[in-house]
Amino acid sequence: MPSRRALYPEIEPYNTGTLQVSPLHRVYFEESGNPRGKPVVFLHGGPGGGTDAKQRRFFDPEAYRIVLFDQRGCGKSTPHAELRENTTWDLVADMEKLRAHLGIERWQVFGGSWGSTLALAYAETYPKRVSELVLRGIFLLRRSELLWFYQDGASALFPDAWEPYWEHIPAAERGDMMKAYYRRLTSDDQSVRVEAARRWSVWEAATSFLLQRHDHIKHAAQDTFSLAFARIECHYFVHHGFLEREQQLLENVGRLRHIPAVIVNGRYDVVCPLHSAWQLHRAWPEADLRIVDDAGHSAFEPGTIHELVTATDRFR
Amino acid sequence: MATHDVDPLRCLYPPIEPYHLGRLQVDARHDLYFEESGNPNGKPVVFLHGGPGGGTDPKHRRFFDPTAYRIILFDQRGCGQSEPLASLDDNTTWHLVDDIEALRSYLLVDRWQVFGGSWGSTLGVAYAEAHPDVVTELVLRGIFMFTEREADWFYGHGTRMLYPDAWEAFVALIPESERGDLIAAYYKRLTSDNPDTRAAAARAWSIWESRVATLMPDAAAIAHCDDRNYTSAFSRIECHYFFHRGFLQHERQLLDDAVRIKHIPTTIVHGRYDVICPLENAWNLHKALPQSDLVIVPDSGHSAFEPGIAAALRAATDKYRPDNDVF
Repeated sequence: MPSRRALYPEIEPYNTGTLQVSPLHRVYFEESGNPRGKPVVFLHGGPGGGTDAKQRRFFDPEAYRIVLFDQRGCGKSTPHAELRENTTWDLVADMEKLRAHLGIERWQVFGGSWGSTLALAYAETYPKRVSELVLRGIFLLRRSELLWFYQDGASALFPDAWEPYWEHIPAAERGDMMKAYYRRLTSDDQSVRVEAARRWSVWEAATSFLLQRHDHIKHAAQDTFSLAFARIECHYFVHHGFLEREQQLLENVGRLRHIPAVIVNGRYDVVCPLHSAWQLHRAWPEADLRIVDDAGHSAFEPGTIHELVTATDRFR
Repeated sequence: MATHDVDPLRCLYPPIEPYHLGRLQVDARHDLYFEESGNPNGKPVVFLHGGPGGGTDPKHRRFFDPTAYRIILFDQRGCGQSEPLASLDDNTTWHLVDDIEALRSYLLVDRWQVFGGSWGSTLGVAYAEAHPDVVTELVLRGIFMFTEREADWFYGHGTRMLYPDAWEAFVALIPESERGDLIAAYYKRLTSDNPDTRAAAARAWSIWESRVATLMPDAAAIAHCDDRNYTSAFSRIECHYFFHRGFLQHERQLLDDAVRIKHIPTTIVHGRYDVICPLENAWNLHKALPQSDLVIVPDSGHSAFEPGIAAALRAATDKYRPDNDVF
């Protein structure tokens, strides 16, 4: 096997701040790498996943001005786990506010999983602001994709991890698992919210790597993380991502086909199966689709890291 | 990591040759190939190959300790070295179950271990449920119980989600209007009078399965699909069984009748990334057979010959080997 690109070394941000994006929401952001480098914005997953210092490491710090921010309600953004005024289009508007605040003309947009959804929504709305797209674990937020992961699909490959998620819901409510979880995640009873959040988040954590990582599952089970993650995810999903039409992101691909792009997807991504990346690629043949044979959903498996770093190097 | 120079099956027993080859005429039409290897006085085990229509391979002998086991392989009706090749007449699950019994009495075996993967697990369970008293243990891999849900997973809505590229090639042969029932569409072509139509369908059918059978792409398995004799038997027989839903009385027959084999020591080995027969199949069988051991292999797909699966299968036959008997 030819040697694979690794992540860049750990770095610290040269600037951190918060931006009041609405009367209710304040968003955390940070800049690292080269202040005069090419701007790139990192869009995290979930929604509700928040950013992590490791995510700076996909980019050559000498070449890039690396912007990370925590989307509404998660990470260091406040108020924590807040669902009000929290929609796809609020986040797209936040990105524009952040871009203007930082005095950036155009930037590269890098996102995986829900980050790919948000990247497409943003680029289809503001195509002139996007220099390149690097997308991973493609998620077009269609009902069929949600049903695959939360109702029936991934369950066939992970029946063991599925059981605690499935059995938490009484049989009478299992016809719509997302709605059943939403009821619990928005319950007035804190203990009900916490338990539902833990099971929701652990299901995803247990299925995100080709080979299960117990440290990752343990992290997902923590209350602070899982409450924001599960509540915000489920809120977006029961509202169909606040899209107007089921196929909206795919239908509007024409608006961004001129933007250089790399699409990376693990062959064994059971959270966002390759099917969606394949359909996106069929609608957008100019984009370079890289299938990683030995990877699942996570951004941090060796083959996926290799493709993502190769992509950002190519665009530097 | 360069491991190409090492035998990937080094976790199995060394290659051996049979000490006895034979043929058994099981009815007016079908003549089956069988072979015995290992220890003639050892514990008998019968190997059930997959497909149906896959045939046996010398590698299949290597799952068993040749000093401890009398290893019996045979080619099921219509495939491998059995004749007539690719014949679908009188070729059903229950004919094969009867053939296994005919072979057992021909070889004067009282009771034997039954070892099978994929379709071999289906046949192994069908056989054990029909003849529970002659089965000492079951070693099953890549479980397939032939429910509608399982058939739809592989030829409908499951596997395609992870392998949209391979799926595109698989459906390309079939016009849009017939894609609602791909098994029927393929069956029509695989039983066509036109040999070119049959051959093209046989190749596409076989490649679909070969492309998704291992965790990592296996060029040799795909190249095997250029062998027209192999693909003809494999695809025709497999599709014939799928078209007739395994000739079961009802779709849950094998799971519902599992109560008959609850006394048989059983090991179930299944790859986490088996996308042909998803782990859920093994999970359900394990629940129906509470006495069984379920071994989930995290870094394997469907094939019997990926290192993790092969090692788990060998561990199972070693565990059931006579010198481990406490009695």
